[in-house]
Amino acid sequence: MQNPRRSSVQNRRQFLRGIGVSLALPTLAKASEVSPPPNRMLLISNNLGVLPGPFFPEGSGPDYTPSPLLNQLSEFRDKFTVFSGLSHPNVAGGHSTENCFLTGAKDPTGSGFRNSISLDQFAVKHLGQQTRFPTLNLGVNIDKANRSLSWTRDGVLIPAEDKPSALFRRMFVQGNPAEVERRLHQLQDRGSILDVLRDDMHNIQRRSGGEDKDRLDQYFTSIRELEVQLHAAGEWEQKPKPLTEEEPPEDILDRAKFFPKFDLMLRMAQLAFESDSTRIVTLMVDGFATPVFEISEEEKSLNGYHNLSHHGQAKEKIAQLERIDHQQMKLLRSLFARLDNTSLEESGSLLASTMVLFGSNLGDANVHNCTNLPILLAGGEFQHGQHIQFDRAQNAPLANLFVSMIQKMGIETDKFSSSTGPLGSFS
Amino acid sequence: MINAKLQTLRVSGLVVALIVFSLSTKAELPEDIEAFTENHCYDCHDDANPKGDFDLLSLPRDLSDQKVLTKWIGVFDRIEKGEMPPPEKAEKLSDEERSRLLTSLSEQLVTADRHLIATIGRAPLRRLTRSEFQDNLRDLLDMPNLDIRDKLPEDRVSHGFTKVAALLDMSRVHLDAYLEASEAALLKAVAPSVKPASPKKWRFTGTDLFSSLETFGGREAMFFLKNGKMNRISGSQLSKEMTPEQKRDPKLELAIFRSATWPYYGYPRGFKAPEDGAYRVRFSGRAVRQVEGFRIVPAHGPLSMSFRSRQPSGPDVSGDVQETGGWMDLLPENSDFETRVRLKTGETFEYSLHGLPVPFIRTDGGFFYDYPPLPPEGHKGGVIRWLEVEGPIVSKIWPPPSHKNLFGDLPISEKLPGSKLRVSILSESPEEDATRLFRQFADRVTHKPLEDEDYEPFLRLIQAKLDSDTPFGDAVLTGYQAFLCSGHFLYLPETEALAQRLSHLLWNSRPDEQMQKLAKNGSLVKRKVLIEETNRLIADPKFERFVNGFTNEWLNLRDLRRDIPDNRLYPEYRKDDYLVASMEEETRAFFRHLIRDNKPAKHIVDADYSFLNDRLARHYQLPRIPGSEIRKVHLPDWSPYGGILTQASILKHTANGTTTSPVLRGVWAMEKILGNPPPPPPKSIPAIEPDIRGATTIRDLLAKHTEAKSCAGCHARFDPIGFALENFDVMGAWRDFYRGLEKGEKITGYDPAGHPFTYYIGQEVDASGKLLEGDSFSDIRELKKQLASRPRILARNFLYQLTLYGTGTKVRFSERSEVEKILNSCENKDYPIGDLVRELIGSELFRR
Repeated sequence: MQNPRRSSVQNRRQFLRGIGVSLALPTLAKASEVSPPPNRMLLISNNLGVLPGPFFPEGSGPDYTPSPLLNQLSEFRDKFTVFSGLSHPNVAGGHSTENCFLTGAKDPTGSGFRNSISLDQFAVKHLGQQTRFPTLNLGVNIDKANRSLSWTRDGVLIPAEDKPSALFRRMFVQGNPAEVERRLHQLQDRGSILDVLRDDMHNIQRRSGGEDKDRLDQYFTSIRELEVQLHAAGEWEQKPKPLTEEEPPEDILDRAKFFPKFDLMLRMAQLAFESDSTRIVTLMVDGFATPVFEISEEEKSLNGYHNLSHHGQAKEKIAQLERIDHQQMKLLRSLFARLDNTSLEESGSLLASTMVLFGSNLGDANVHNCTNLPILLAGGEFQHGQHIQFDRAQNAPLANLFVSMIQKMGIETDKFSSSTGPLGSFS
Repeated sequence: MINAKLQTLRVSGLVVALIVFSLSTKAELPEDIEAFTENHCYDCHDDANPKGDFDLLSLPRDLSDQKVLTKWIGVFDRIEKGEMPPPEKAEKLSDEERSRLLTSLSEQLVTADRHLIATIGRAPLRRLTRSEFQDNLRDLLDMPNLDIRDKLPEDRVSHGFTKVAALLDMSRVHLDAYLEASEAALLKAVAPSVKPASPKKWRFTGTDLFSSLETFGGREAMFFLKNGKMNRISGSQLSKEMTPEQKRDPKLELAIFRSATWPYYGYPRGFKAPEDGAYRVRFSGRAVRQVEGFRIVPAHGPLSMSFRSRQPSGPDVSGDVQETGGWMDLLPENSDFETRVRLKTGETFEYSLHGLPVPFIRTDGGFFYDYPPLPPEGHKGGVIRWLEVEGPIVSKIWPPPSHKNLFGDLPISEKLPGSKLRVSILSESPEEDATRLFRQFADRVTHKPLEDEDYEPFLRLIQAKLDSDTPFGDAVLTGYQAFLCSGHFLYLPETEALAQRLSHLLWNSRPDEQMQKLAKNGSLVKRKVLIEETNRLIADPKFERFVNGFTNEWLNLRDLRRDIPDNRLYPEYRKDDYLVASMEEETRAFFRHLIRDNKPAKHIVDADYSFLNDRLARHYQLPRIPGSEIRKVHLPDWSPYGGILTQASILKHTANGTTTSPVLRGVWAMEKILGNPPPPPPKSIPAIEPDIRGATTIRDLLAKHTEAKSCAGCHARFDPIGFALENFDVMGAWRDFYRGLEKGEKITGYDPAGHPFTYYIGQEVDASGKLLEGDSFSDIRELKKQLASRPRILARNFLYQLTLYGTGTKVRFSERSEVEKILNSCENKDYPIGDLVRELIGSELFRR
């Protein structure tokens, strides 16, 4: 039992059987009041990346000279760090690596490839469920069946949510009684199976010799813990959802409205943090599945995003990609500004408690290169304002940065995926 | 010599067994042992400044504590091997004194170990592994292709093995996964429809044979043929000009000259499996060559291919890509083929021609996919004339056997609203039927009638569901689901333990009816019957589960695809999936042969044959053999191959794709082949980093690394074997010289993907060495002869590995004498592997 406060909530089964009855749960509310200010993560990947030339700055350390793209973020210079020379070792194979951005699983085009746990799920595994949604996994223009940043530890894809309206509903709109009931029924089924398993195991235990005691105890513990988990799910199912002053968003269906969609999802992520619906959000920006789109009100892309990204050194394509990348940076700038101006806790701004990672599985989409990934991290309690440079020929593992991040989340580990430790020079 | 020593131990073990219950937990060992440690050990291993952090003085003497006992066994082993006291300090120590100590200490250890086994058991109760869970369900439900493994968390690994009882514990995550997986399996077992769906048929000809008009790599990689000549079709022709008949013109043929590795999407146009299942695929095709000017001529020999199941997405695949349907050889003459592919709903399958180029992006001057230059004999390729798919193939019996296992002969009708089942189960007396069916199911799971109180909680659950108007089928299924998550199914039962153990060893699953019968009537414990059953299991197709499982775990074949060869140093292997798959097959076939054909243990390191196909024969620089089929091939005297130690699969996974390390390979061989794992390296010393520029050989680096005496001692044990293996590159091909990226003779060319490459021939490989306890050797051939002359060590190691796999725990100290007994009985036949398996199963150790 990870959270003793959780388990102290009254009779669990009575609760599950009380279908449709909304219970006040003062213990939970209290729990979040007394906790120290939480750490949050927003993990963003654009699977076509950015142009490496205009992105990576000159010089390293705090005195680096910002690149044209980073100039967009100059007012936050002290609040983010840019990295070069990072990548996932042995993660090659063009676009197929997009599913490995947060997992680092090797050789995604190999026969029999299986993905591994993603950073967000890894964090949840260690932190437990603190909020209604352990994580939210979002996407822009995403091919949901095939792409995701979020993977279970068995390598199962966790589909992304790409409809802001549905997300809003899940966060803020109380389900209708029939929906709640169906969900609670399923939980109740599992709960009653666990009851049977406990009775049955008592029968087995009575007849077995003492030597199996440890193993049987383990089974009982598993039952108990799983009940707690089902209970939490049932509890959140019935717990009143937070209120928001925001209007429900309207979904933008037109995939050509790439930037408005991207922007809206960033706002939804922010809303999720503000309402403490979750503390971890992933966002895959699926450029690959983006057709000809609007770069600005005056300009449309020459090709679909993917085709365009293979610019083949064509000047007009490169110029257009650069404008697209500036647009991406502008979205980040306005996100940083909003987070910086929001305070949930007394201790500081939302930006100060939220690590915003922006990056890509491709170092250079033109040539499907998966090394020297563009990586930028803002917010959180880091010593920002630097360009941290690693060897461009022998990249450092990106997972090392991930380790540094989850350590800030309060997870005591120095190992995630292909990491060799936390990112040495960064804290 | 070791043999003789252990013989005496065995005798003394028998003697002390008589006094097993007089063992006290007194905190002292007999005086002679205390005196020995005082005289020979405490100089270094006392509490003041213990060497190697090992303080023997303060080590408790209470051998009834498993942890303490294990430590003392470690002390025994180091003294027995002569490693302790270190030779320079052991001058005063006579052989006689050493052997007196060993006898005395072993008496204590054997007694304590037997006492522990008698009180807490040989190994803890364990749950099924992930793959056992799936195989048990497959056999229980009659669903040989059930695929639910991925719903379960991966098992932890110790010494490569997952079946280790101590690691197989239970958690909330597991229980949750079992609930999920058992429900999924049961729902799949239920009939999917009231009447069997008639399989659908598709036929592809002309441009429908491929998902696009061209593929990555341009015209060299793929085109259509008409009357044997290239027939170019443009996109606008296809979409605007061609009639449906022209598009499907049976005279149009598909020609492919590349392998199916990314980027690629070569599947029949528009096909998607409507449902999970097996599909029959028929097609007609031949092997060809593409010569100058896109001309097609017959191939010189067969070309192997398979299909790969995948999502019908673009060139960038997400999710699983699985080879399916087996390997088939296209021949120079056109012929028809038939195979079965397994597909999940929504999947398609792509043509996967083996060992052909994979075009790769060039960006030096634009952006294009390049193709390797035309070889003198032309590009190899395959031509497909037509292709048919039919499926999913359903059971001829309806409802299918898996359904009858759950609901017997109760009639079925259309699905009910609110039901999870795809049909509804009709029952006139739901209560009686539910009770009867559940009892039958539970009895089948546990192989025996249970106590009434065992059924009761589950029946109560079903009854409660029926009372709340849950459909009959759903209610009963919930009971089954609960039972499959209960201790009755999840834990390896201790009743009929021998049958269970034997069947989980050789079939990875529950005993079948015959073995249950033999277990119940008590005849299985008879040695003759037990051996007959063992032979029956070995001859059965389900034995493949053992071949795969044991080679995955003992020989680490599971790690075969961990590293990709560095394409700067080893451009010739770029994307050669076929080679890697062939390596895997070689090791499996060889191991299968050792057991089924009862080959001597020395073949583990040295044999004059192996199991090869066209690609491996080339890899091993042997005369050409045609075709993909893995077959037994005699190896000439000069060949360094033959035996597991020098199989490409082993040499690949003990390297890292870029460099080889004598340390890693040597340690692997010590642990896995010779059964003498070295202690873990000291934490303070970093591993050596090989120099891939080519300036210094690994041998020189290692010599520097092990200059310190404390390092040299251990390295002298394992480095020599690793040195001998240095003649094999990261993929197991022979090399006389290292390759580097900066120094040496420059080599340039084009790799199979069309990339230009440059590497340098570096320093010469020096594969000579000297075994710590043996003669010096100049290369692997000589080393293999030396190792092969120690068959007892190889056989003993095999038994130790098999014991861990088959009983979930290592050979215990008190069981060592039993292993020696088995070895003695197999000695005069050169320790045949099949006999070793049978003798272990027939031994007290396995029956315990």
